[in-house]
Amino acid sequence: MGSIRSAYENDPDMLEIVREFAAELPARIAKLEAHLAAGELRELQTLAHQLKGAGGGYGFPQITELAASLESALKQGADAPVVKDRAAELCAILRAVVVPEAP
Amino acid sequence: MNPEVPNPNRVLVIDDSESIHKLVIARLRPEGLEVIAEVDGERGVERAVAEQPDLVLLDIGLPNVDGFEVCRRLKEHPATRSIPVIFLTGTADTESKVRGLDLGAVDYVTKPFDQVELRARVRAALRAKRLQDILEQQSHLDGLTGLWNRRYLDQRLESELNVARRYGRPLSLVLVDVDHFKRVNDDYGHLFGDIVLQGIAEGLRAYARRSDIVARYGGEEFAILLTDTNLRSAMYVSERLRSSAESRHFEARTEIVNVTASFGVSCTEDLAAELTPEALLKAADLALYASKDAGRNCVHLYRSGELILSTGNPLALGSDGGESR
Repeated sequence: MGSIRSAYENDPDMLEIVREFAAELPARIAKLEAHLAAGELRELQTLAHQLKGAGGGYGFPQITELAASLESALKQGADAPVVKDRAAELCAILRAVVVPEAP
Repeated sequence: MNPEVPNPNRVLVIDDSESIHKLVIARLRPEGLEVIAEVDGERGVERAVAEQPDLVLLDIGLPNVDGFEVCRRLKEHPATRSIPVIFLTGTADTESKVRGLDLGAVDYVTKPFDQVELRARVRAALRAKRLQDILEQQSHLDGLTGLWNRRYLDQRLESELNVARRYGRPLSLVLVDVDHFKRVNDDYGHLFGDIVLQGIAEGLRAYARRSDIVARYGGEEFAILLTDTNLRSAMYVSERLRSSAESRHFEARTEIVNVTASFGVSCTEDLAAELTPEALLKAADLALYASKDAGRNCVHLYRSGELILSTGNPLALGSDGGESR
């Protein structure tokens, strides 16, 4: 997967918080994977919900899209392989995010 | 003290995700808005009560107390009832939107929000808030003089008495009545009478302190509520107001007309009665009538049943003893 950059990294109002958001993503990935491994689906759903709400706002519509699809799978009580696949897709895209350079 | 309606610009965000707080702050700060944030619904309500924001952006999917319940509480509490609420919703389903609007929210924004849309919706809500603030204040103002009206003074008297009682702080009340006002009206006409009332009102406003609440209490009667003020300080303020009224001149055609006013002062510390609005008003009224009886254009103080003339008598309450507030 290629690298993903925020649509707002050239917006001076946004640069700093986009940097923070991107820099915190590895921690979120770790949490996501831990909840998935432990079968903690409620917590996983909360994380997906938050990423869905925030992603697009930080200039990452792809994050919102994949987080929404994970959230809806969890809401509908989808089978474990489906949840696992969607979580993996979400983690992959989070890993591809590039932290923008400081000004 | 001077009634004026500031531009509403304080926004409270209640959302369990700090990423959303930062995002809203980054998007609204360039609009000149001040943003405060809470992650928890319960704390959010407390913050709204304490800080009186002009707008609440409220997440529906809060843990513990959800957004609908927070909205219900905000709309129930007298201190937050009139603060507009915009829902932030992650789910775009019609049912949640309708439920939010039915609970009293003015609008909703779906997350992830488009910044242009967020700003526009926030601006619209704040514009409406300003009109609402203006209307609310108008209903508390006296049309002729622009001072607070009696309804407002009665409300404040009640709430300031509670504060005075709770914290043991003094609260003073001054009643002012324009002398021989009926004669002014009869001799020079009601239009001139109105000009006199406006002039006296302007003088009271100009010479009262910033924290004093100056109201038109009735026809030619004014009332001033002095928070955190003892009888002695209220006496100084009243004497200053009296002499400013006395030195004011009004022009009626070719004539210069001089108008004076009589004053009565009471204070919670010197009431010798239960602390009620009626008792404080009654005491100030008795003092005012003592001023009328003493020949007008003077100030009387009510001190535990005693009526004391202070005009021309700076030691009316004994020597200052260095105490003043």
